[in-house]
Amino acid sequence: MNATEGESSQTTLLQSGLEARACLVLEEGVSRIDARIRSRLNQARQAAVAEAAKPSYLMWLNRAFSRHALMPATGAAAAAALVAVLMLNGGHQMTTTVAENPASALDVLDLVTDDDAMNLMEDNDRSFYEWAAAEGDNAGQGSGENAGRGAGGTT
Amino acid sequence: MSAFASVAPPYTMPATVGGDTLLNDTAEATSRALNQFLASVELKAYKIAQAGLRHQDDALDAVQDAMLQLARAYSNRPEAEWKPLFYRILENRIRDMQRRRTVRGRVMAWLPFRRDDEEDDSDPIAQAPSHDLPPVARLELDEAMTALDGALGELPARQRQAFMLRNLEGLDVAQTAQAMGCSEGSVKTHYFRALQALRTKLGEFEL
Repeated sequence: MNATEGESSQTTLLQSGLEARACLVLEEGVSRIDARIRSRLNQARQAAVAEAAKPSYLMWLNRAFSRHALMPATGAAAAAALVAVLMLNGGHQMTTTVAENPASALDVLDLVTDDDAMNLMEDNDRSFYEWAAAEGDNAGQGSGENAGRGAGGTT
Repeated sequence: MSAFASVAPPYTMPATVGGDTLLNDTAEATSRALNQFLASVELKAYKIAQAGLRHQDDALDAVQDAMLQLARAYSNRPEAEWKPLFYRILENRIRDMQRRRTVRGRVMAWLPFRRDDEEDDSDPIAQAPSHDLPPVARLELDEAMTALDGALGELPARQRQAFMLRNLEGLDVAQTAQAMGCSEGSVKTHYFRALQALRTKLGEFEL
C-alpha cells in the first residue's frame, strides 16, 4: 500500500468517524428537544392530519356521481332543461310559420345552410332584408305573370 | 299495519353505502399513515429547520407549513414518496423564510424601535435538558453540540442540507437528491464538501 492510498483510507476512516459522531450528537440534540416544542409539533401534526381528512372538492364530486340514484334524476333534469330552452327560443315561431306556409320551411333551411346568408345575418345588413323582401314580393307577382305568359306562349 | 311499512327506504341502497364505506376506510387509513409518518419525522425536521433558521419559532412555523402542505397536496401520493417530498417542501420553506428574514433585517435596520432580544422570550426551564447523564459526559456532549451547531450554521445552505438529510434523517443519495431538487452527483459533492469543512472546523473538538 503506497502513501497516497494510506492517506486516502485514513481520510475515509476519519470521515466515517466524523459522520458517526456527528450523527450521535445530532440524535442527542433531537432527544433534547423540550416539551414545549414537542407539544407544538404535535399540534401541528394533528392540524395537518385533520386537513388531509377534509373531503376535497374532487372527492365530493366523485361521491355525488357515484350515487346511482342521482344519475337518472340529473339526466332527466338536463333533458327537460334542454327541451325548455329549445321550445322557448324558436320552436314556437318555427312551427307556426311552417303551419301557415309549408313551403317556407325549405327557404329557412336554405338560409341556415347558406354561408353567405349567415354572413349577412351576422353583419346585420338591414337593407339586404328589405331588398330581399321586396324581391320576394316582385318575384311572386312576376312568377304569376311569367306563368301566364308561359301559359299563353304554349297556347 | 300497512304492508308498506316493511319496505326499506330508498336511501339504504347497499351499493352506495358500500362505496361510502370504502372511501371512508381509505381516508382513515391515509390519515393514520400520515399521522405515523409525520410523527416519525417531526423532531428531526424541526432540528433541520432550526439548523437553517437558527430560531425556534421560525423553525416551528417552517415544519408546520411543510406538514400542512404535504397533507393538502400530496397525501394521496404513495407513502414511499412522502419523505423526499416533505423535506423538499421543508427546504423550500426554510429558504423562503431566510430570504424574508434578510429583507426584513434590511428594513428593520433603519427603524429605531427594533428588538434584539427576541431569543430571550423562551422559557429557560422548559428548555433545560431532561435526561440523566454524568456531569462530565453531559458537559462534553454540550460542548460538542454547541460546536456542531456552530459549524453547521457556518456551512453553505446546500452543504448543510445535504449533511443533515443524509446524516440525521438517514436519506440515501437518491432521496436526498429528490428532496434537494438536484442530481445525485451534486448531492455527493455537497456532502463531501460539508464533511471536509466540518472536519476542519471540528477537529479540535475530536467530534
